[in-house]
Amino acid sequence: MTSAIEIKDYSYAYADGTAALKDISLIIEHGQKVVLIGPNGAGKSTLLLAMAGFVKGTGKIFVDGIEVNKKNNKKIRGLIGCCVENPEDQLFMPTIYEDVAFGPLNLRLEKDEVKARTRQALETVGLWSLADKPPHHLSAGQKRAAAIATILSMKPGIITLDEPTSSLDPTCRNKILRIIRELPQTIIVATCDMNFAAEFAEHAVLIDNGQKTAEGEPQKIMAEEQLMTSHGLEVPWKYRKSI
Amino acid sequence: MHHAHIDKFAYQDSPVHRLDARVKFIVMVIFMAFVISLPPNSVVILSLYAIGPFAVLVSGRIPLRFVFKQIIIVSPFILVLALSCPFYDRTPVSVSFGPLSWQITAGWLRCCNILAKFTVTMMCIIALVSTTRFTNLLEGLGKLGIPKILTAQLGLLYRYIFVVIDKAQHMLLSRRARSSNYLGFRNELKTASAMIGSLFIRSIDTAENISIAMQGRGFNQKWRSLSQMHTGWADYLFIVLSAIYILALELFAKPVLT
Repeated sequence: MTSAIEIKDYSYAYADGTAALKDISLIIEHGQKVVLIGPNGAGKSTLLLAMAGFVKGTGKIFVDGIEVNKKNNKKIRGLIGCCVENPEDQLFMPTIYEDVAFGPLNLRLEKDEVKARTRQALETVGLWSLADKPPHHLSAGQKRAAAIATILSMKPGIITLDEPTSSLDPTCRNKILRIIRELPQTIIVATCDMNFAAEFAEHAVLIDNGQKTAEGEPQKIMAEEQLMTSHGLEVPWKYRKSI
Repeated sequence: MHHAHIDKFAYQDSPVHRLDARVKFIVMVIFMAFVISLPPNSVVILSLYAIGPFAVLVSGRIPLRFVFKQIIIVSPFILVLALSCPFYDRTPVSVSFGPLSWQITAGWLRCCNILAKFTVTMMCIIALVSTTRFTNLLEGLGKLGIPKILTAQLGLLYRYIFVVIDKAQHMLLSRRARSSNYLGFRNELKTASAMIGSLFIRSIDTAENISIAMQGRGFNQKWRSLSQMHTGWADYLFIVLSAIYILALELFAKPVLT
């Protein structure tokens, strides 16, 4: 059986020659909840974009056994739902309902199926009552939940989320955590919110300076104070030794 | 940050709000064409033409204070145009209203006519946007044959104008927090140009991210949408009443100024 994501010696450099990702190899299994942790500018977001074929580097990436390349882009984007960091960018339609329906419409589904999926996705994130609102009428937490709904309505097998808790208060953060933890899909989250990462992840990958530095069980990686602080991170409360 | 939206009453519910956006748009365009085509000596009958949009605003429960505030906000350009009329057309004309009659210049008559037409047409526009959600209006325009790419552009403009305003307001706030003194015209200009440049670059960044979000959801240059529009008996009744009203004005309301 194929893995959800398989990355083999993947490297990517920006147009000015700065290396963003260096020889990354990684395997993510179906149904896993994975966090990519690392300081700002480590290359986490670029790696997520590479998985969905938005940046083209050297090496190979396979999504559900299909190689990520220009020819397979359409198939890949049906398999992987990619949620960008800023929900303002993810929510580009005039109303939440239209935004959540945008993906299923592009999948050329029947209108009844589009409506059913849109309703189901909005109910999952608790925003059905706000379906007709324009995104600028929502709070930061609601926008984030709506951004996740835009992906859920496409029913992808794999979901990538970039910094899903940035600018959220603890209540909204916990709500997002609850929503994505209950999803059956493979979920890959890039974050530097260590408390969120510790609560969410079954598998952690530490990335710094474009390289994979450590990988394994979240507790093993995140409880190591030396490892965390040397990469500009902190040990989450969950794994701190009681004083 | 919160913004005062011109369509903030469009989310209310009333019989006018429930009318088909296409019907409201077509009736408004026809009505405005009649208003604009009235001769310059129709100042008084324009008040009869104002009854229609006024009735729509009242039945849509749109506060008149809001309506007049919006008219005043957009009035400066028209005011300059209207107030320049008395300076270039000083032909004397006789004006009568009931038993009263007096003489003014044709320039002043034209000035009053421009202001009256402006007020009536603005009432129409505000009545339309305050009783119709922008998304429904765009969908209606699409159904009326406006190219999808144009309505999509308008949709994106409506969606992101508030984001850009937010960014600009944050930048202005940050600038005010760090500059207590006037730095001189040149320096202020330099700061302003840097801010505009930054806003422009951020907008390009946003556009790139939106493009990723769109492609990530299977967008292939073709806009698809779920149509939720339907025309009912209330729409036909609105069309009939509007037609009777416009025709009655055209046939019976003749200019009383000479």
